[in-house]
Amino acid sequence: MSKLTADLEKTKKDAADAAKAAEEALTAAKEEAAKAAEEAAKAAEEAVTAAKEEAAKAAEEAIKAAEEAAKAAAEKPAEEVSPYKFEETHKITVRLFQRGDNEPEKSPFADYIRKGMLEKYNVEVEFVVGGRWTEPDDLGNLLAAKEAPDICYTYSYPTILSYADMGGMIDLAPYIEEYKDAIPNLFNLLGEDNIYWDQDPETGKLWALETRLVNNARINTFIRKDWLDKLGMELPTTKAEFEACLVAFRDNAELLLGEDASRMVPYSTSYDIGWRNNILTVSFVPDDITDEELYIRGYDDRQQFLPGAKEAIRLLNKWYNDGLVWKDFALYGSGDTTEDDNLKAGFVGAFQHNYDYPYRNGDDSIDANLKRNVGPDAVFVAVDCFENDAGVYRKYLGSTVDRKVCFPSTNTEILASLLYLDFISSPETILALQTGTEGINHERAENGAYMMKAVDSADPNYQASLNNIDFTMTCNGQYLGEYTEASFAYGYAPVEPAVVEQAYAIAMNGGRVPAHFVLPAIEAEVGIGTTLSTERDSFLNKAVTASVEDFDKVYDEGVENYMSIGGEAIMDERAEKLEAATGYKFEK
Amino acid sequence: MKTARAEKTINTAKPGRRGRAFSTYMHRYGTLYLLLALPVTFFIIFRYIPMAYILMAFKKNNIILPPWQVDWAKNNGFEWFIKAFKDKLFRRALGNTVTLNLLDLVCGFPAPIIMALLLNELAFKRFKKFTQTVLYLPHFLSWIIIASLALRLLADNDGLINIFYKQMKGDPNAVLPFLSKEKWWIGSYIALGIWKEAGWGTIIYLAALTSISPELYEAAAVDGAGRFRRIWHVTLPGLRPTIIVLLIMRLGYILGSEFDRPLALTNNLVTNVSTVLSIYIYQKGIKGGSQFSLTTAVGLFQSVVGVLFLFGANFLAKRFGERGIM
Repeated sequence: MSKLTADLEKTKKDAADAAKAAEEALTAAKEEAAKAAEEAAKAAEEAVTAAKEEAAKAAEEAIKAAEEAAKAAAEKPAEEVSPYKFEETHKITVRLFQRGDNEPEKSPFADYIRKGMLEKYNVEVEFVVGGRWTEPDDLGNLLAAKEAPDICYTYSYPTILSYADMGGMIDLAPYIEEYKDAIPNLFNLLGEDNIYWDQDPETGKLWALETRLVNNARINTFIRKDWLDKLGMELPTTKAEFEACLVAFRDNAELLLGEDASRMVPYSTSYDIGWRNNILTVSFVPDDITDEELYIRGYDDRQQFLPGAKEAIRLLNKWYNDGLVWKDFALYGSGDTTEDDNLKAGFVGAFQHNYDYPYRNGDDSIDANLKRNVGPDAVFVAVDCFENDAGVYRKYLGSTVDRKVCFPSTNTEILASLLYLDFISSPETILALQTGTEGINHERAENGAYMMKAVDSADPNYQASLNNIDFTMTCNGQYLGEYTEASFAYGYAPVEPAVVEQAYAIAMNGGRVPAHFVLPAIEAEVGIGTTLSTERDSFLNKAVTASVEDFDKVYDEGVENYMSIGGEAIMDERAEKLEAATGYKFEK
Repeated sequence: MKTARAEKTINTAKPGRRGRAFSTYMHRYGTLYLLLALPVTFFIIFRYIPMAYILMAFKKNNIILPPWQVDWAKNNGFEWFIKAFKDKLFRRALGNTVTLNLLDLVCGFPAPIIMALLLNELAFKRFKKFTQTVLYLPHFLSWIIIASLALRLLADNDGLINIFYKQMKGDPNAVLPFLSKEKWWIGSYIALGIWKEAGWGTIIYLAALTSISPELYEAAAVDGAGRFRRIWHVTLPGLRPTIIVLLIMRLGYILGSEFDRPLALTNNLVTNVSTVLSIYIYQKGIKGGSQFSLTTAVGLFQSVVGVLFLFGANFLAKRFGERGIM
């Protein structure tokens, strides 16, 4: 801290010096101006009045300019040098996700952050690159090897909690208090809610900061509009109509696919049944389910253990047995591209996925590939057709939280790390990282909107993640200040903005954000996440592919197994702690 | 050339100080000890020192601190063993490991022996060599490649074999569920294992076959033994010691499990039969769970059972008049 104080003192002194210099300049300028005026008066005796006037004006201008210079000189240092800038260079390491085979640490975005941090705080930043899809495994391995970067992040809070229990994490609460003034941008972006989201109400410990999810749209249903047009059908608006569309796709495979008719997939899904049929699932959940029940039964973020979920899977099972669902979905695991290839080749009629899935990845998007492979009319559009018991097109949205940032106990640069978070949370930084370079990453529209351009994935300027979220660690979603709204639909070039806008509107229609309860840590959730999700996927796959007669047996066995290996313990502990905090009585 | 090099090494060795016998001994065999030093160092660093970490199995789960700084686990340190045996998923993995390994043993163990006998009977030397080489090849493919090939060939709908099968039957719903039904999957798993490793496994048997004296065959032929008789009465007895040694080693591995083979071949429909102990350890220990203590306990259990089987098989082999391996 003393170093910082010294820094501050030095800065103040610098500012004072500059002001003094400016004052001197002002006096000199005044003298000069007066002299000039005198000379002018002497030289031009004939036009005394005019000359006097002119000279006075010149003097006035000179004084004004000098005054301005002084003002600028006085203000300038305070603007450029942060009071928290270290005197000696400090060094921190930061986790950075890699997707595919690009080298994010060599991109101009990484340079921007490194340069900015060095200039602003004298902090050298080194990025530690690791795969996006192996993220939870990597974190554990890095911690065990004592090589975890100073700033880590993951999507799973129970993971952080389990490492915190082992003494692997730093309690951030006291540091947030101490350095509150140093991190205004972080507070502005995340808000008190997100910062203290995971604070244990009993112990006050804070193991992670919840970063900000700007856009909480989740999942959409997509359908091939060009196929519907070909068949003379309207966009579906109910479950029954949607099913009729799938049946029509199946029965008209020859017409729609010609010699590839055998490749017809009316409805595609993946091994991740919960996510990939989420809208379907949620449409069977009673609309009047309370926030409390939603919390207690809602450990699974795919909503597969809410009342009604079974009926949703039963419908999917019926579709599967009717030949409406991709037969081989269960054979392909996470990261396999077979399904995407089917979508790109134009064999698929409908599917549910992330609300903007077919439009992501610029020139390599499903939409772009589909147009290349099939024709300019081919398009997946979002539709709203899964009504619930109240007739609402319900979607469970994400809350305001996204990734969880934590500092491993090996971090000895806490202030520098917090300053890093503050730096990447400032609106200018986010804007620069999200929009990149004008002419390469974007063009500006007349209304100021940022129109993103497709960049080749071999180009260092390529953004491997949508809105460059791998770099904007504290912010997920477009965050361009006044231009956000106007720019949103342009974020998906070369996709038509109208198509994207419609998808977004539908994804938000009927949205419900599950409530957040501040409770002590749920111990039953520690270390079990992967096991539970693996078992969930496995039994849902079996249930969907079972014969209609076997469905109940397979599904019920699966749920029972899931509950017995940890699912029930989580529900019980959630119910218990919720009752202790709010008095809510939960009945199974 | 060889002797020259050996002499040079001997000359650089320090002269022994503990008497003439030792110095002569080292003089003669020092080079061999030098050769041994490298593998011994390897084993000490990568096999023996890590054994200290078996302690984790008896300590509270902590991946941050070294195990000797962590408190003992509950139940006198046996918390994780108890937890494992209470865990349904562990019991399932244990059952699957034994089932798949036994099937592998029953179907996979005789395969290279039969193949070696067949190769041995081939008359044309060149054709035999060519066939041998072709049979070795699959061994050099990783399971990841084989699993991808299997998926393209055997998938229910998009697999080549099923595409032909559907056309043959004229029924688009006809399907051979090689990978999607549990029993079929086990068959595919075992068959692919045989396909990959049987050829490679013949090497050791073929080497043993060369040591059988041709005179025995000639004598048998003189006595009027046909081909099958000669195989039965000469070749197989000649192979017996080799077979026994390999069988003992296989039995020591009964609870051990391959990792990449089940991991690459599995899918969500067959996890009930495909999740073996190595996968269980991977999921609990590395993939997000970080339960190092539990998984170390499971690993230790595997090793102990493996050693017991090894001794048991060795004991039985000796009882039946074979030499065994210990």
